[in-house]
Amino acid sequence: MSEAVVPPRALWVPFALGRPLGAVDDAEFQKNVMRTAFGLLDTAEEPTIEDYQIEAPDTGLSETWSCPLNLTSESSGSLVERLLAEVARLRPWAIETRRQRGRTLFGISGAEEDDIDELVRVFAAIAETGEVTSEPVTDEITWAFEMPLLLRHIADDLRTFYHEAIAAQPGDNAPDHDALNRWIFSETVLGETLVLVADGLTKASDSPMAQLVRGLLIPEGHYRGGSAFPKETKFPIEPAT
Amino acid sequence: MVRLSDLHPVESEHLRKRAEAMPAIGPGKWISPPALDQATVAIVSTAGLHRRIDPPFAVGSLDYRIIPGDIQFDDLVLSHISANFDRSAFGQNPNIVFPIDRLRELASAGEIGGVARWHYSFMGAMPDPSQFEETGEEIGRLMAQDGVDVAFLIPI
Repeated sequence: MSEAVVPPRALWVPFALGRPLGAVDDAEFQKNVMRTAFGLLDTAEEPTIEDYQIEAPDTGLSETWSCPLNLTSESSGSLVERLLAEVARLRPWAIETRRQRGRTLFGISGAEEDDIDELVRVFAAIAETGEVTSEPVTDEITWAFEMPLLLRHIADDLRTFYHEAIAAQPGDNAPDHDALNRWIFSETVLGETLVLVADGLTKASDSPMAQLVRGLLIPEGHYRGGSAFPKETKFPIEPAT
Repeated sequence: MVRLSDLHPVESEHLRKRAEAMPAIGPGKWISPPALDQATVAIVSTAGLHRRIDPPFAVGSLDYRIIPGDIQFDDLVLSHISANFDRSAFGQNPNIVFPIDRLRELASAGEIGGVARWHYSFMGAMPDPSQFEETGEEIGRLMAQDGVDVAFLIPI
């Protein structure tokens, strides 16, 4: 993509998506990446794309990570009951991560930190009814998005809750992106709920936005064995008003 | 940017097709900034970052959010639409995406001249980057007013 844009000076880095400076909590590694990029200001005399030759250090990310909590035990009751029970088991760890960090990424949908149970009730109801076009009715949350794009951000708030919960658990191993997705979609009620919501978006076949949101909801490869994106995706699509 | 071979095959193929279809737009005007130890640096992110009080990004957003140079990380969130990148690193320490502390350290050490008062954030994942021309030129003027010499563009 940089070859099409032709930036004046570009440093290609061999790091995972979401980690453009390579190593979390390694200030010197990050600064060395930046120094190399800034060095192009001295050396490049025409548009240049240089490869960064240093791989990210092993930061304990694991492809084989497994969650110590056995969440598959939440197997009885309605979907909302099972999802509430799963969230309840993760809540102490999510609270601990927020205490340690003094911050959270939760809340993009418009939900406050205390709204997690209401967010679960809303999302599970959408999964069960397949209603993906009408704004969910709640007295507790002022939504920051319109439907169906709201679904994508409710999903992300719930995923953030799960990610923050496992971040505080003991052990040096942390899951990489693939391990996180495998856990969510093979071991959690949340994963089951996400797929059901995506099915609802599939059925809203007269809405191009709904089909696009399905692709924004489910990571590639985790929607019934394939891509959640429609075959033809056109940007930008304005959210329905 | 990641190696395509490190991605899920479906995501890899998707990005390869996006790259092949991306229209060529460069190169722009060649500018040589002052020496780095005299240069003021601003971050331009395409990670969909913004302050918690700001409106989140929508699908196809072409606008931008301003991020003050004294931003505290408890005020910085992310509403990028893609589900296909790892957000846990940003949650752990936002410097890996928005390295404001690293810029401050480089400025303190005299390696760069200074840190801009304002930084800028866009939503990435846009197939045609030429659509950012108007807002790109706008933040260029804002950065010039802010005394910025170097724009450090960081994708997610």
